[in-house]
Amino acid sequence: MENIIEIRNLEFEYTSYDDDGNVSGTNKVLHGIDLDVPKGQFLAVLGHNGCGKSTLAKHINGILTATSGTVTVNGLDASVEDNVFEIRQHVGMVFQNPDNQLVATVVEEDVAFALENLGVPTGEIRRRVDGALKLVEMYDYREHSPHQLSGGQKQRVAIAGIIAMKPDCIVLDEPTAMLDPKGRREVMDTIGMLNDQGVTIILITHYMDEAVQADRVIVMDSGTIVMDGTPKEVFAKVDELKAHSLDVPQVTELMYGLKKSGLDVPVNVLTEQECAEELLKLRHGKLQKKEDPGKSGDDSSIPCIAEVKKLTYKYSVGTPFEATAVDNVSVSIKKGQFVGVIGHTGSGKSTLIQHLNGLLKPTSGEIFIAGKNIWDKDADIRSVRFLAGLVFQYAEYQLFEETVYKDIAFGPKNMGMSEEETDKAVREAARTMGIPDELLERSPFDLSGGQKRRVALAGVIAMKPEVLILDEPAAGLDPKGRDTVLDEISEYHKKSGTTILLVSHSMEDIVKYAEKILVMNRGRLFCYEDTDTVFSRTKELEQIGLGIPQVSRLSHLLAAGGMDIGNDIYTVNRAKERILEITDVK
Amino acid sequence: MLNDITIGQYFPGNSVIHRMDSRFKIVLVTVYVVMLFVAQNFWGLGVGCAFMIMVYAASGISFRLILKSLKPVLAIIIFTAVLNLIFVKDEGDPLVAFWVITIYRKGIETSAFMVIRIVFLIVGMSLLTYTTSPIVLTDAIESLFSPLKKIHFPVHELAMMMTIALRFIPTLIEETNKIMMAQKARGAALDTGGLIKRAKAMTPILIPLFINAFKRANELATAMECRCYRGGEGRTKLRVLHATKLDFFAAALTVCVLGIIIINNIVF
Repeated sequence: MENIIEIRNLEFEYTSYDDDGNVSGTNKVLHGIDLDVPKGQFLAVLGHNGCGKSTLAKHINGILTATSGTVTVNGLDASVEDNVFEIRQHVGMVFQNPDNQLVATVVEEDVAFALENLGVPTGEIRRRVDGALKLVEMYDYREHSPHQLSGGQKQRVAIAGIIAMKPDCIVLDEPTAMLDPKGRREVMDTIGMLNDQGVTIILITHYMDEAVQADRVIVMDSGTIVMDGTPKEVFAKVDELKAHSLDVPQVTELMYGLKKSGLDVPVNVLTEQECAEELLKLRHGKLQKKEDPGKSGDDSSIPCIAEVKKLTYKYSVGTPFEATAVDNVSVSIKKGQFVGVIGHTGSGKSTLIQHLNGLLKPTSGEIFIAGKNIWDKDADIRSVRFLAGLVFQYAEYQLFEETVYKDIAFGPKNMGMSEEETDKAVREAARTMGIPDELLERSPFDLSGGQKRRVALAGVIAMKPEVLILDEPAAGLDPKGRDTVLDEISEYHKKSGTTILLVSHSMEDIVKYAEKILVMNRGRLFCYEDTDTVFSRTKELEQIGLGIPQVSRLSHLLAAGGMDIGNDIYTVNRAKERILEITDVK
Repeated sequence: MLNDITIGQYFPGNSVIHRMDSRFKIVLVTVYVVMLFVAQNFWGLGVGCAFMIMVYAASGISFRLILKSLKPVLAIIIFTAVLNLIFVKDEGDPLVAFWVITIYRKGIETSAFMVIRIVFLIVGMSLLTYTTSPIVLTDAIESLFSPLKKIHFPVHELAMMMTIALRFIPTLIEETNKIMMAQKARGAALDTGGLIKRAKAMTPILIPLFINAFKRANELATAMECRCYRGGEGRTKLRVLHATKLDFFAAALTVCVLGIIIINNIVF
C-alpha cells in the first residue's frame, strides 16, 4: 500500500540559548526515527511523557523542522519551506487542550477558520463547514460559543475544524487526556468513524484501551521507536511494555499472570470478550463460597471526621439558570478512611467536596468537620479550610512562588505556623511527595508536569489537614506518573492516618486504594459503601453511566458462560486468584 | 461572582435592527451621536430622542435593559446635573438661594439638557452592542477600516486580536475563579485587610493566571499555524456582510432626522 508518511533517520535537537544569544546547550529528543505510515492506517503511538512522541508528531506537519533526516508527506519534503503550507492541508493536527485550539467565538466560525485562511470561496466554506459539523455530530451546536460546550464537544469541534480542510491524515496529540469518560468515548467514536472513511489516523495516547482500537501500535522511548506491531503483538509483551513505563489492558495482564502461574492460556488477548472465550475453554470447578469475614463492613465504632447533613446546593438562585447541583445529601466520613468519590461530570461530586472545606456555602443543610458546624456564627471559615485540605484538578496551575520551597510554604504560612514549624512541614511534605531536596530551591516553573503536580500536592499536605480531598490528582499524567502520585498519596495515608477523599473518573484507580466508595449520580448520593459491596452492584453502576474496570466486565461475561468467580471482582489480582482457585493448574 | 459579568452584552433576536448590516449600524450610531451634539435646543434634542425611542421599539430590547446600560454611568450623570445646576447662572433672579447654593432657571434648563443628552448617548450606543454579536461587530470594524491597510495599518491583525480576546474572556474568567478557589483552599485571605494587603493577596492569583495565559497563547498560535493561518492576505469569509434595502432605508431616515435637527437649529 502507498505510504502517506515516510520518515527516514529523523533526528531533532532543541537548542537552548543563554542571555547573550549564544548556544548554551542542546538536547537531543529524537534519535534516528524510521517510520512509514500507509494510507488509511490507524496508528497509535505510545510512550511515557518526554519520550519524544509529541516532537515526532510536530515534524509531520512542519511545526518543527528536522535537525537531520527527512520527513516526506504525500511525496512532499517537509523541510522545504514552500511545501509546509500544502503539507498542513494534507495533515491536520488536534491537540490535547480543547480550549487552546479554538479561535473563534462561534462554533461554525471556528470550523471555517482554516478554510478562510486557505481562501476558499464563501459558498464552498458554508457547505464544507456544515458537512464537517454534521460528521462530528455538532451541527446543532453551530451557533453556540465554545465556552458553552463540554470538553468532548469542544474537541469534536476542533476535529471538525481540521476535517473541513479535507486532509488525508489527522494527527491527534493526546486528544482525550483532559476529557471525562463520556467525552473520551465521543472523541474515540469520531476518530474511528473518520478512519472508516479512509482518513489516516495517528493517535498519541496514554490510554491502552484506545491504542487497542488501532491497526498498529508503535512504542517510543528516549527518542526512538522501540516496539512496532499490531496491538496484539505489542501488548502480549507485557514485561517489555512495563520496562518502558507503560500499561497493558487489564485482561492482558490477567492472562499474563495466569500463564506465569502455570495455566495454559494465550497472552495476546485485548478485549474482555476474547479473554472470556479463552478462559471458558478451561476445565473449571465451582467457587467455594467463603463466609465473608466482614473485615470492612462494620465501621460504626470509628469516630466521624466529616459529616454532611441534608446538604442541598443550588446554582444561580433566582435566575432562569437556577439548577440544583447537590440534592439532599447526607453522608458521614469516618476518621482515617480512604474514600473514593466517583460520579460523572455534573453528578455533583465536585460541588459536594467544595462544601467540605467551606468554599461553597450550602443553600440548606449543615456540614460538620471534626465535630464543628463550619457555618456556625462563631466559626472561622478560614480555619475550616486548614482542617479539610482541598487539592483541585490540574493543581499545578496554582503554583506561583519563586521557589518550590516558598510555594509549599504558602499554606503553612497562611495558617500562622512559625518559621521552624513551616520549615519542618515543608520538608516533610516534600519528602512525602517524593520531591528531592535539591528541587526545593528551583523555580516550580522549571519542573516537569509530574513534578509540578507533586509540588502542588505537597503544598496542601504541608498544611497537615485532618481530611485531604483530592480532585483527580492523576489527571493528564502518563501511566507511570499516575501510579507514582497515587502510591505516594496511599503511603501518606498509611503513615499519617489522614482521612483521604479521592475523586476520580477512573474506577481502576479508585478500587486500587479506596476502602469505601461514594457514588454520586444527578446531584444525589447513589451509594456510600465499602468497595466490595459497591462492586456487587456493578450492573447498576453501568446503568448510571459509570465505567467499571475491565476485569469486572470480564467476570460478568464469565458468569454468563457458567464460570462464576464471584461478583466482587475489580482488581486483576483478585480475578487471578479466583480463577486459579477453580481451575486445575497443569 | 465573576460569572455575572456579561461581556459584549449581545441579546440575540431577529428584529429589523438585528438584521441590519453591522457596518451601517456603526456608521449610523456615529451619525446619531453627532445629531445629539448638533442639537442646540430642546426641540432638536427631542427629535433625536424620539428617533432613538422609535428605533428601540423596533429592536424589541426591554426597558429593563436600557436602565441597566445606564447604571455604570449614573455617577457621571448626577455629577453633570449637579454641576450645571449650581454653576450655570443667568441675569434673572435666582429661583433658589440657600447657603452658598444659588440655582437659576437657566441652570435647571442646561442641567436637564445635558442629562438628556448623556442618557440618550449611552442608550444609543448600547443598542449597537445589544443587537450586534461581538464577532459581527469585529467583522464590521475590520471592513470599515480596511482602507487603512493601504497605509500599512494592521487592520486584520487588530480584528483578529479582538476576536481572540472575546473568545478567551469567558475561559479566563473561569480560570480566575478556579485559581481563586485553589488559593483560598490554601488559606489565602483574599477578601480581608486593607487595600495594600488585598493587592498583595492578588499575587497568588495573577501569577498563575498570566503564566497560563502565555501557555495558552503559545498553544493557540501553534494550532492556528496548523490550520494554515498566514495573516489577512488572501483570506475569505464564512459570513460576508452585505447591505440590503433595509440598510439604505435606515440610512436615509437617519440623515433626514439629522437634517430636521439642523434646520431646527437655523430656524430657531
